[in-house]
Amino acid sequence: MSARGGLPWVLLAAVVIVAIAWAAWPDDARVSVAARAHDLAAELRCPDCEALSVAESSTPTARAIRRDLKRRIAAGQSDAQIRQAYVDAYDETILLEPEGSGLGVLVWGLPVVVLVLGAGGLAFALRRWKREPRLHATDADEQLVAKTREVDER
Amino acid sequence: MRHPTRWIALGIAVVVLLFGIVLATRVGDDPQAEASKSQLLDDPVPEFSVRTSDGTALSSADLHGRVVIVNFWNSWCLPCRDELPALKVFFDRHADDPEFLMLGIVRDDTVKAARAFVRERGIDWTIGFDQESVAALAFGTRGQPETFAVTADGVIVGYQYGPSTVADLERLFARARQGSA
Repeated sequence: MSARGGLPWVLLAAVVIVAIAWAAWPDDARVSVAARAHDLAAELRCPDCEALSVAESSTPTARAIRRDLKRRIAAGQSDAQIRQAYVDAYDETILLEPEGSGLGVLVWGLPVVVLVLGAGGLAFALRRWKREPRLHATDADEQLVAKTREVDER
Repeated sequence: MRHPTRWIALGIAVVVLLFGIVLATRVGDDPQAEASKSQLLDDPVPEFSVRTSDGTALSSADLHGRVVIVNFWNSWCLPCRDELPALKVFFDRHADDPEFLMLGIVRDDTVKAARAFVRERGIDWTIGFDQESVAALAFGTRGQPETFAVTADGVIVGYQYGPSTVADLERLFARARQGSA
């Protein structure tokens, strides 16, 4: 691969890295109690309803959790401590997104492994196809075709 | 290695297969099954404080030294009403035991409605009002009724999701009397 040919790949890699860093970077602007409580509520699954976050649900339990989140934040607990308190009481299913440990590692990690392996395999296959010479007809092939044509013309 | 692409494809297939096996075996598909388990079994009773009918505070620290049956309930919940006769029979059997406490914590109800219900139905055990839902959330409740058995040394050893029968309550009580392992 020439230096010029590799430039698009380098640019693509740079764009992907910047996009991931931008998405993962903490937003310092979100510091108010209400905003933190809302963010945490959006991460927690409503315990007495299906497929809704605490932020979206209006069940009594969801409302109680929203009040409790504000109380805990006001008491100085960190987001990690609050999440852990709910995991301790309800287990990991209370979290809408899996944690980065235990089974959560598989959920987050395996798609990345598949992506890397797939991209590697594709890149390898493309390089190999490019390297392979195009097929050329040999003298014997051309003679065979000429003979066949002669037979057809008669 | 004669065909590296094939090996890579095989690797991807194995990873995808493993992922499928993990999803199929480790992720539950029945929310009710998840709800009917308590995360707190064999854990110390969580910290909480409720107001009793006479206005005094009752905290988790006050439970120590007694076997406790904690029942979350409210006045409008039909399964709680269905469960009430069993709770009464069970409480009458053990009311004279000085080392036993039955605590009914009101969950998601007004104090007024719960007080009226207690008076009308002649409920004699200790009632706790949990206005901020601190106890309900600390116990990881998802609804009512839910019942927990607590040993004298403050460990949760039994849990019943939904209405309890007298036999369920006796089983919980026996387990709590045995103490924590």
